[in-house]
Amino acid sequence: MPREAEPSLSERTFVTQALEEGLRVDGRKFDQFRSLELTFGDEYGVAEVKFGKTRVLAKVSAEVTVPYTDRPFDGVFTITSELSPMIAPSYEVNRPSMEEVLLSRLLEKTIRRSGALDTESLCLIAGQKCWSIRVDLHVLTHDGNLTDCACLAVVAALRHFRKPDSSIEGETLTIYTSAEREPVPLSWLHSPFCVTFSFFGEEGEQILVDTTWLEEQLRVSTCTYSINKHGELCQIAKFGGAALDAPLFIQCATGALNRSKELTDLVERKLADDAKRRDKGGFMAELTAENDR
Amino acid sequence: MPLDTSTYSLALLRVDGRRWNELRRLHAQIRTQDAADGSSYLEMGHTKVMCIVTGPSEQQQQRRGQTSQRDAAAINVNVVIAGFSSVDRKKSGRNDKRIQEIEVTIANALASNLHTHLFPHSSITISLHVLSQDGSLLAALLNATTLALIDAGIPMTDYIAACTAGSTSTYAAGDDSADPLLDLNNQEEQELPFLTVATLGDSDRIAVLVCESRVQVTRLEGMLVVGVDGCKQVKQFLDQVVREKGAEMVREGAVEKSDAMGMVLDE
Repeated sequence: MPREAEPSLSERTFVTQALEEGLRVDGRKFDQFRSLELTFGDEYGVAEVKFGKTRVLAKVSAEVTVPYTDRPFDGVFTITSELSPMIAPSYEVNRPSMEEVLLSRLLEKTIRRSGALDTESLCLIAGQKCWSIRVDLHVLTHDGNLTDCACLAVVAALRHFRKPDSSIEGETLTIYTSAEREPVPLSWLHSPFCVTFSFFGEEGEQILVDTTWLEEQLRVSTCTYSINKHGELCQIAKFGGAALDAPLFIQCATGALNRSKELTDLVERKLADDAKRRDKGGFMAELTAENDR
Repeated sequence: MPLDTSTYSLALLRVDGRRWNELRRLHAQIRTQDAADGSSYLEMGHTKVMCIVTGPSEQQQQRRGQTSQRDAAAINVNVVIAGFSSVDRKKSGRNDKRIQEIEVTIANALASNLHTHLFPHSSITISLHVLSQDGSLLAALLNATTLALIDAGIPMTDYIAACTAGSTSTYAAGDDSADPLLDLNNQEEQELPFLTVATLGDSDRIAVLVCESRVQVTRLEGMLVVGVDGCKQVKQFLDQVVREKGAEMVREGAVEKSDAMGMVLDE
């Protein structure tokens, strides 16, 4: 298995020295994010997010299954992520690297455990039938700040997703195709977003956001907040690394809240744009005889 | 199963009769295993953990998927949660992501605290066994590890002391009157938002901060302050355990008391 190449000594000194002088390699300010791009696919529930060169694709799918016996009133909701050798040769197939384990745990805590999706609404017949919502996360390129990017992609894809409409009459369950009835959005409760801060320097005095892969390899410590626009923290993860002064964490939490509000606005705007693009005038437009010819 | 903590506001006493800023009973032993390079046993209330440190020793054959380190010692952490440790006997697999996360957290926290650069081409293996779980698991594991590493004589910058801090009402309630709480037990952890803090020595510097529950961001500050304060108490306790053991060893003649020992072995 090839090992991930570490930055050379000269690269290391260059980056850290530049940071001491208040400069980042790509010319951004310390608290400036890369330009981000969020696009939805033709199908419902496909979202692609680009943070600079980091690119992540999330795809949501739904099927009807049997609920878990210990939770008969809840639907099934899973997020699966895969870091494949497509990103770098050091990632192996079917062997989750530590990074991947931490990423999936983080997404699980941020989105699943914080109750962003109302799983009770996925129940069709208690104990017998429920919807299983599955999010597949594909990392296409990795140039740092993967967690923030992945979290945004998953949240955007779930908000964009429409599941087939269904009805129950007596004991019979009917699932309608999209031609019969318009698919319905998921019951979504709040949108948490991850914001990662990276710390550089002996004392961790330089705080950077949205780091590139090179910067990530050189940081002394990192802290990820998951927060929604209402100021509810869903998780904080600072797994070791250099020790930092306590007030820094409060300061970063405020920064995370502001960023989360921006991201919420962005997702809302993009969803509205997408809805407008799809809405071709409704049923009447479909009935008209006019066409492109 | 949620627990009714609504009685807190009446007497300001928690389910186990503590006040908001009280730690549970701490008990620790150091050098419990003769065969190990370093070992410890720690109880935080009913959470009981054992730690065994092997190393620094020659690096074992590289396991796949691990980055080899040439200029510093590698730190390997294994956490085993005994099947009988909690009320429901749950078999946890080796690939439990939660346990892996705990292992990474401990390894990363130590990597920046230990002077691993003194031991190139070697590895330090830390085995942790959880015998009983009653909340504050990560904190107990971190504390036990610190003690065992001190016993093993591995140079480090300072103690890593950890504890949990919580808040008395659930996330939904926006009441500002919510008290912060120190050192939550399992019942409280099920019900209330909490975070685990680990600080370095007597300073206010935070090495580990893990929060897994939903909480208003405005409560973070209060919880952090209480947590950091609790860590200082824990650090005092750990220090006392080490000093007592040192004094005992001098008394028994296991080690010579040298003039170089600047510290006073108060008995």
